[in-house]
This record gives sequence, C-alpha cells and structure tokens, in this order.
Amino acid sequence: MRLFIATLALAGVLGAASAAMAHTPLFSCFDNGDSTISCEGGFSDGSSAAGVAVHLLGADGKVLAEHKLNDYSEVTIKKPDGAYSVQFDAGEGHRIKIAGSDIVE
Amino acid sequence: MKRTLLAALLVLSIGTPAQAHFQMLYTPQMAMEKGGTLDLKLVFTHPFEAGHTMNMGAPQEFFMVHKGEKTDLKDTLKKITWTSLTNSGDAYEAKVKARSMGDYVLCLVPEPYFEANEDGYIQQITKVILNNGGMPTDWDAPVGLPAEIEPLDKPYALWTGNVFRGVVLSEGKPVPGAEIEVEFLNHPPVPGKNEFQKAALATAPQDAFVTLTIKADADGEFVFGIPKAGWWGFAALGVGPLKTYKGKDNSQDAVIWVQAVDMQ
Repeated sequence: MRLFIATLALAGVLGAASAAMAHTPLFSCFDNGDSTISCEGGFSDGSSAAGVAVHLLGADGKVLAEHKLNDYSEVTIKKPDGAYSVQFDAGEGHRIKIAGSDIVE
Repeated sequence: MKRTLLAALLVLSIGTPAQAHFQMLYTPQMAMEKGGTLDLKLVFTHPFEAGHTMNMGAPQEFFMVHKGEKTDLKDTLKKITWTSLTNSGDAYEAKVKARSMGDYVLCLVPEPYFEANEDGYIQQITKVILNNGGMPTDWDAPVGLPAEIEPLDKPYALWTGNVFRGVVLSEGKPVPGAEIEVEFLNHPPVPGKNEFQKAALATAPQDAFVTLTIKADADGEFVFGIPKAGWWGFAALGVGPLKTYKGKDNSQDAVIWVQAVDMQ
C-alpha cells in the first residue's frame, strides 16, 4: 500500500502538478534568459535539499551533466542545445523531472 | 467594542448595514503553482459589502520577508483609483517578482486613516502570506510588527471547512481576550480591473453575519471555522501600542488574510 501511495505521489509530481503528501519532494526551475536555467529543490516539510543531485538529461533521456544543489538548495545550469529535461534525484520515490519546454522566464 | 457601537450608531443614523474597515492586500492566489510576478492591490475598504472605499495615504512601510530576508517594496507602489460598489478611493498597486519557492510574507504598515465618524484614526497593519511551490519557509515566524497575528495554520493552505487559528500579538506578546473582526471578501476584485465584482458570493441574513466578531482566549489565541471558499480577513482591533496619532485616538489593528479553497 505504501509503495502504491508513493507511486501515486510520484505520478502526481511527474504530471507537472504539486503533490500534497507528507515529505513530498519539491522542485522548480525557471529560465534566466541568458542561456542558463536556475533550479531549486526542497521538501514539503521545509527541510533542505542541499547536496541533492540534479541531472541534466538529453532528449533521449541520457545524462548530459550532473550537478548538486548548493547550500541554498539551488543550482544554475547552462542550457544544452535541443530538447532537454532536468531531474531532481533524492532517491527512489523522490525524483522529479521537469521538461525543458516547461521551464520559462 | 467601541468601534462596533459607533458603527451601530452610524447605522441608526444613516441606515446602512454595519460593516468593518479592512485593509486589503490582494492577489488572486495565495498558493501559487509557479513563481512569477505578483500583481498586488492595496485597498482600504469594507470587503463584505464592497462598500465605501477609503482614501489610502502613502504607506509608511511595505516590505516582504522571504527565507528570512526582508526586502523593502515601497518603491514598487503605484497609486491607483479603486472602484467599490458605492464610490471610488485612492489605493495602491504593486508588481513584485517572486520566482523562488517558499513563503512570501507581505507586510503593509499604512498611514493612519482619519475616520471622521469616529473622530479618530485607524491603522491596520496587514500581513498576507503567499507560497510558491508548496515549500514552507517563513509562514509561522512572527515578523515583529507592532500589531501582528501569528498564524498557527498556513493561511494559504486551507480547505473550506478547516479552522484557521492565530495568536494576536502586541509588540510580540499575546493579547488575552483580543477582539477580532472577521469578514469575507464577498465581492472579489475583477481580474485586470481596479474594481470589485458587482455580484455577491454570499448573502448575510442579518448584520451580525456581515462582520463576525470573535474573541481571543486568555493566551491571545483564536480559532475560526471557515464555511466558504475565498478570502477571509481577520482584524484584531486596537491591539498595537500606538494609541494616539496627531492628537486623536488611534486604533492600531493587526490584520491577516487567509484563502480557503473547495475540495474538488
């Protein structure tokens, strides 16, 4: 049952909407307008996401670059050419992927 | 109570319903899915009836707290004319960037308003807490305003039927038995315009339902069950330390707004 709920939570997050469940991972990115994007992670209980991995993925899903969120749970990444996505990876059940097309100024 | 009595006398004399003054600091959504530019409207009015809108003077302070950092927003203020159902009055608007996740605690310390009917001033120190992306950061920490309501529930994350709890503070200390007026924003602003919508969302069966009056307990804490989705204002009357202004009585009130949404 717990796995089922976790799967639903993840599905909700991947559906580009926020999922209001206990200790839900949170991730948000915006385009800086200078060929970079800034992303920010966290958790719904207010805990820090410092050190959490953020993967830049190409159109084929392959990892183009790996970053980590800084002490402010933020990271700035240079945008790749072509389609891409960014994944917040805090472990199983705590991953969120945002498509580059959804990252706007 | 004094203000209620005066309002009642005013009703008897001119036959309009009793209604409370409320400093509004409005934006359509307190809980934002994504960050962006906040479109804020600062209006001093009577929100249940969308009645007489008072002329606001230039605010003394307007700032926000985000992740513990205070940002002065006075430079963002622009004077506008706000149209109520009965008149027009001076108000302000501001556009403020809020892209980062977390809470945005917006605080307004207005210039005291001279209410001729009461031969005194009203200064409603107003707090509105917005959130971007669901990450809680600042909502439960008092800002340190002279008159303030400390929320015990997130003001932006309330279902219809939830209770909202708060503690009335004067210079950071609880105010036992504080009198709190509660009013529903019954005519929400029309999107893109500086006016209230004409249609009411609810009808009050009697004047006591227009401005609901509740009291804080011995610890300054109050609880209010929210019966309808929308914006609700809470004003703790005369709790601030500034009791006189320009030689007249001053009611320094603490205001906070919450927004409830229906479960769907």
